Amino acid sequence: MPHDLTIALRVNGRKTEATFPARTTLADLLRDRLGLTGTHLGCEQGVCGACTVFVDDLPVRACLTLAAACEGAEVVTVEALEGPDVEALRADFSREGALQCGFCTPGMLITACDLVRRREPLAREEIQEAMAGNICRCTGYNGIVRAIEKTVDARICAEGP
Amino acid sequence: MNAAGSNPARRNGIGARTPRREDARHLSGRGRFVADMKLPGLREVAFVRSQVPHGRIRGITVPADAEPGSVWTGTDLAPIAEPLTATSTLEGFRAAPLPHLAVEKVRYVGEPIAMVIASARAEAEDLAARIIVDIEPLPAAVDFTGALAQDAPLVHDDWPDNVYATTSGDIGDVDAVAHDAAVTVTREYTMNRQAVVPLETRGVMAQHDQTSGQLVVHSSTQTPHMIRDMIAILLGVEARQVRVIAPDMGGGFGTKCSVYPEEIALAAVAMRLPYPIRWVEDRWEAMVSSTQARDHHYRITAHAAADGTLLGVEADILVNAGAYSVHPWTATMDATMSAAMIPGPYRLSNYRFRTRSVATNKTPLGPYRGVARPGACLAIERTLDELAHALGIEPNEMRIRNMVRPEDMPYTSVAKKVYDSGDYPEAVRRVSALIGHDAWRKQQQDVSDGARHRIGIGYGSFTEQTAHGCIEWASRGLAITIGTEGARLEMDSSGGLTLSVGIKSHGQGAETTLAQVVSEVFDVDPALVTVVHGDTALTPRGDGTFASRSMVMAGGATYGAAQQLAGKVLRIGGVLLGEDPKKLRFKDGAVVGRTGSVTYRELAKEFLFTPDHVPGVEAGLEVSFYYRPDTQTGAFTYASHAAVVSVDLDTGAVSLLDYAVVEDCGTVVNPLIVDGQITGGIAQGIGTALLEELVYDPDGQPKSTSFLDYLLPGATEVPMIKIGHMQTPSPHTVFGVKGAGEGGAIAPPAAIANAVTDALRAFGAEANETPMTPVRIWTALQDAQASPVRGAAMTGTDR
Repeated sequence: MPHDLTIALRVNGRKTEATFPARTTLADLLRDRLGLTGTHLGCEQGVCGACTVFVDDLPVRACLTLAAACEGAEVVTVEALEGPDVEALRADFSREGALQCGFCTPGMLITACDLVRRREPLAREEIQEAMAGNICRCTGYNGIVRAIEKTVDARICAEGP
Repeated sequence: MNAAGSNPARRNGIGARTPRREDARHLSGRGRFVADMKLPGLREVAFVRSQVPHGRIRGITVPADAEPGSVWTGTDLAPIAEPLTATSTLEGFRAAPLPHLAVEKVRYVGEPIAMVIASARAEAEDLAARIIVDIEPLPAAVDFTGALAQDAPLVHDDWPDNVYATTSGDIGDVDAVAHDAAVTVTREYTMNRQAVVPLETRGVMAQHDQTSGQLVVHSSTQTPHMIRDMIAILLGVEARQVRVIAPDMGGGFGTKCSVYPEEIALAAVAMRLPYPIRWVEDRWEAMVSSTQARDHHYRITAHAAADGTLLGVEADILVNAGAYSVHPWTATMDATMSAAMIPGPYRLSNYRFRTRSVATNKTPLGPYRGVARPGACLAIERTLDELAHALGIEPNEMRIRNMVRPEDMPYTSVAKKVYDSGDYPEAVRRVSALIGHDAWRKQQQDVSDGARHRIGIGYGSFTEQTAHGCIEWASRGLAITIGTEGARLEMDSSGGLTLSVGIKSHGQGAETTLAQVVSEVFDVDPALVTVVHGDTALTPRGDGTFASRSMVMAGGATYGAAQQLAGKVLRIGGVLLGEDPKKLRFKDGAVVGRTGSVTYRELAKEFLFTPDHVPGVEAGLEVSFYYRPDTQTGAFTYASHAAVVSVDLDTGAVSLLDYAVVEDCGTVVNPLIVDGQITGGIAQGIGTALLEELVYDPDGQPKSTSFLDYLLPGATEVPMIKIGHMQTPSPHTVFGVKGAGEGGAIAPPAAIANAVTDALRAFGAEANETPMTPVRIWTALQDAQASPVRGAAMTGTDR
């Protein structure tokens, strides 16, 4: 039988101690043990990006990250995304038709947040490149790209030169 | 019933760009999918699946330490669940009963053999890995040549060959026009096999509720009522004992609208367990055990007059339907649709066709967005371009000359489909302008001979039957003739409106668009209308969401219910206001009369709490309405797509420089949602055209079963799509709405293949097989240069 491990980490700002079989992924830890089912599993092969979460401020694939590797880590999932960047993204996603079934949306939002917070003007092609690691099967990406473009521009403008 | 424009003042009704009500929960991670559910005592299921394409099961050995009741085989399941047998009324159709767990033989890689239950999925997989399945491998029938050979291995031992059914037709006199034709071309086309790939895989959770005695099945399905019926039938219980719930779904696109072995197996076993069980498909399983799509081969001969008039078409259509017929569509669904759609949007009087639906040791074929039309469109549209090229006519002009004209409507096609409305040639004119045809032609000519790339422009046009009724499904041999949708609308004691419908919205935004229909009648904010769907216990009966039918059918039912409830609300308002109900109207959530008004909240409270205040109005503040269009031949959505490509002559790589579509789905209910359907459909069509292929090796092993080798379009593969709308209301539907779900996916393979061929004209190479991968295009170029006479068509190796 697989043996259990115990680690301490912070998930969505809360100190958490978790005990799980050593082979458990971060995605399964979040979904099955912590009830954070906003992190979706689309392929479990690290390709589709639906499971993307922030670990120590970097977007990572929760399906390819072993929970055991997260000792002391700061994990943020879609449920805890907050602040003006993400509020703007949510509004623009809705306005521009950047989601349909909603399954890829949590991973899209995390990756998009990472782009927006850089405060770098981005050409449309650069946004397409940056989002190429997140698969959406419904929208054809046009709405996603437009939404991120708008948010990036608006957030840069909002803070002035 | 056509009420388009009846309420021009409605801000949130038909035609409004209403924000989607579904968005908020998904944007905050609060969606609830099958895999997200928690039930006390829930155990997880893994399946043991066939690793061989074809073989005889000699034995299944379960580890001695497996808990009793943790492993179920076909032998265990046989007495408690009948196999699923999709039947058809087509002459000569051979049924292929689909076992829920294989017995005696396995017929494709991925076929379920045993079901394993444990406390967690990983543990279920551990146990599954220790089950030994002894299979004697048999030669497999894989491609058309192999499956149709005289000595082909038989997928079903008691059949004389591997053909589910053959259909044919000969309308007009093709031979006579062939004799007179100025030009005749013959081409072969292959549209290879695809996976459908909703991002959420399938999932089923089943629980026998010990209190109510009811079996409750959660499933990621587009057709909850149909699943309920089939569970009841196959388990031998009454439908009232079964409740099926489809919660949030991460897409479906057709692959979640057949009845699956896993649904029946979990339901049957859950009936005998004191705890709930759940199976969530993993991606490998999804690639091999969810129904697959396309896999067509065409041989088309077409004849035209010197002025481009299309005189006659001959089509020989092969569909590789896989190992079993899925319920209710059957293995002939693609072939019958394809034969009917080859004539396309054109005036054609002479047409001969034959279809053969072939059984092979591949995963069963099922519906996928567009159902056979992408293949039919590729075949006829590529052929039309070859005729136009031979005659020196521009491809857009060739289409305009041959298309059914507005004055021909309604037009009965040579395949007996009744095209209802629209201006097909105008869509071509508009899309030519939208893409900038002349400017691209100039850019194309400006590419120097020495350059290592070429530019091409291509068109793809189609007309698509949507929301068809019973007679259309019957004509294709289905045992279940779909065509009715129910809606129930209730005003509660606080004046709120709850709509319940039998369809299952799974990304289409029907919680928004159906609320808009209610808003159109009642003038309420759609955000204040609750739309319930996907639960057989809470919704009136309906067939489900597929075939671009939900907006037309559930929209029609919703409008019917809303109209009836509105009549009653006005009568109540008449009593309360002391005015003639005929002179009252709805405005901003209230009944408004000449002298005063009463809000829905006040009205409902009066009527439901103190009915004695409202004499003369019968009890009840809810209406159920079942919609079945009077004309069942369908509302035909049509479109013309235009693609501009650049082809790299050294690598064969195709890149999309521009893409435009002009479409007519009748009255647009919500432009945000319709544009989303079009763009999303086109992205999937780009996948079909350029990227996606389920490769099977000659022995029948699927080789592209992960996202690492099955390429999906990403953000860099889909250009910004230019969309133009025409809005010709269908005369047959409420509001004149036509289906909008599938059209986007139909024409991209045709438009892109025509563009690639256009780019390579000087070399005589043609793009006649999808996906147009770099290696296929490069090979076509090399072959063309090796045999420069007519140029080498890029065709498949099958036949």
